[in-house]
Amino acid sequence: MAEPMKIRATLQGDTADVRILMRHPMETGTRKTATGVVPVHFIQSVIVEHNGKTVLDAQWSQAISRDPFLGLRVKGAKLGDKISVTWTDNKGDKRNDEVAVSAGS
Amino acid sequence: MKKLRGITMGLVSALCLAMATSAMAQGNDLSVGRKMLMEDNPGELWIDQGKALFLQKRGPKNASLEQCDFGMGPGKLEGAAVRLPRYFADTNRVEDLESRLLTCMTQLQGFDRAQLIKQAISAPASRGSDIEALALYVTSRSNGMKVNVSLGHQKEYDMYKAGEYLFYRRSGQTDFGCVQCHGEPDKRIRLQDLVHMTSKAGAQEVAATWPAYRGAHYVVRTMQWRLNDCVWQMRLPDLKYATDYSIALTTYLNRQGNDAVMQVPGFKR
Amino acid sequence: MKTTLIIQCSLSAATGLLLAGCATYPDQATTRQMAEKMVFEAFDASPAHMKRLEQDRSQQICSKVGDAKLSQEEAAEVVKLARASIQYPTSGQLSGDWKAGDRLAHDGAGDRIRNGKTENRKENGALCQNCHALAPGEINVGNVGTPLTGYGKQRGNSEAIVKYTYEKIYNAWVYFPCSNMPRLGATGHLTPEQVTHMVAYLLDPQSPINK
Repeated sequence: MAEPMKIRATLQGDTADVRILMRHPMETGTRKTATGVVPVHFIQSVIVEHNGKTVLDAQWSQAISRDPFLGLRVKGAKLGDKISVTWTDNKGDKRNDEVAVSAGS
Repeated sequence: MKKLRGITMGLVSALCLAMATSAMAQGNDLSVGRKMLMEDNPGELWIDQGKALFLQKRGPKNASLEQCDFGMGPGKLEGAAVRLPRYFADTNRVEDLESRLLTCMTQLQGFDRAQLIKQAISAPASRGSDIEALALYVTSRSNGMKVNVSLGHQKEYDMYKAGEYLFYRRSGQTDFGCVQCHGEPDKRIRLQDLVHMTSKAGAQEVAATWPAYRGAHYVVRTMQWRLNDCVWQMRLPDLKYATDYSIALTTYLNRQGNDAVMQVPGFKR
Repeated sequence: MKTTLIIQCSLSAATGLLLAGCATYPDQATTRQMAEKMVFEAFDASPAHMKRLEQDRSQQICSKVGDAKLSQEEAAEVVKLARASIQYPTSGQLSGDWKAGDRLAHDGAGDRIRNGKTENRKENGALCQNCHALAPGEINVGNVGTPLTGYGKQRGNSEAIVKYTYEKIYNAWVYFPCSNMPRLGATGHLTPEQVTHMVAYLLDPQSPINK
């Protein structure tokens, strides 16, 4: 069910500029449709790792929009370093994607 | 609105604040905010969706769209979208991107045209339609390239002039033609900025930012959708999908926007 | 946009010969004919709804392409037709209820068509907020039209002003032929009674627009 993220990690000096687009409905649990209220369904946890070391550990709520974007900068990065992103939602669904840090323009 | 917990609040808000304060200092708040929303907008998630649909063998004929000719020969995508609309000999018509997709999806894949049209525009907050994803994918293959609509065949000249005429055509109880809202600089309806389409910059914005992610709908929208929505607002009847009327207007506007650098997905409210 | 003809002849790539027919911009009459045909083929709607696509004489005149200018004669004709279109309310009272006008001024909906059906509403909004600044302090207002903040304060309440305001809203083209403003009363989007409420909203000293 969990769909692939789109991750870009480009090196700017010694910092990786990481941009992540996640595909997720992020339902607040208050939206009404013709068939009733759409149940709450949102990403609860986001973990970003740099070469296996956790650099961001986030706890989200349903206040975050559908198909959320997350941007962060990771210091001390080098070309080819691994950036791994994992999200877990309130239904227990999980998604992990990773990229290698590439050269910036 | 529930409070955000954990480290996120600090990190994300610090990031936002840093970006916001430097950006605000530079100019008009609304346009700055919109630029921030445009970069890395969720529409990009549909590019991969469109690519998968393009390559997949589908329909009664179990074929992919790899042999579709968008004007530069079968399967050639780089630089194809920036030349649309254009004349196609096989249909003897000027076609825009979406009508060309309809042609290929019916001829190569065997899909039913009426069914495709019925499904072409998706519901808000849905997965989006096949055509929306395909249109975005094909256009994204021209990202970074200049819009280059040329007039060679008589029908291309006809469509351009007809589109120009239609841009200025007033009708209905609103007495609106496109120009009533899109003919002057720095205008807005409520807080929605109006593209100044009779200027070079405005026409270029039209030509280079569609398909686009429509924030309020949470899906990618296309030019056919945009024209349908304008016509709705003008109190005119339901505009059918992929009509000469819409292709003529698109030919006119895209050509007026020549030399714009394609950059999709755009971002609209 | 000039309508000069530019002759472009296409070269046959295979043979390098000039083709007998050269592609050119169609002239004004041909363009109009082709485009009008496109209009009526672009919609599948009831006869009543299709009528909305037909242009009246004034709309035809006022659909100038590019920077084509309105001639004196054309302007005069539009004004004459506009004046002839003015209908006053049966009560004869040109100024109505400003509170109703306030509501209508901020209402941008009404009479739009989706899947063959018009919006299910009691009455059409007057659409004013879409294009005009209204009461002071309102942020969510357009600027396509001139600001109307303080309209009544500036003009007073004389019979002449009331009549002018009524006519301007009923059919703006009486005073400014081919104005971008919809001829709200004349096209039937608003009833004469609704127009009287708009007049009161603009002119009444108690109206928020004059605070």
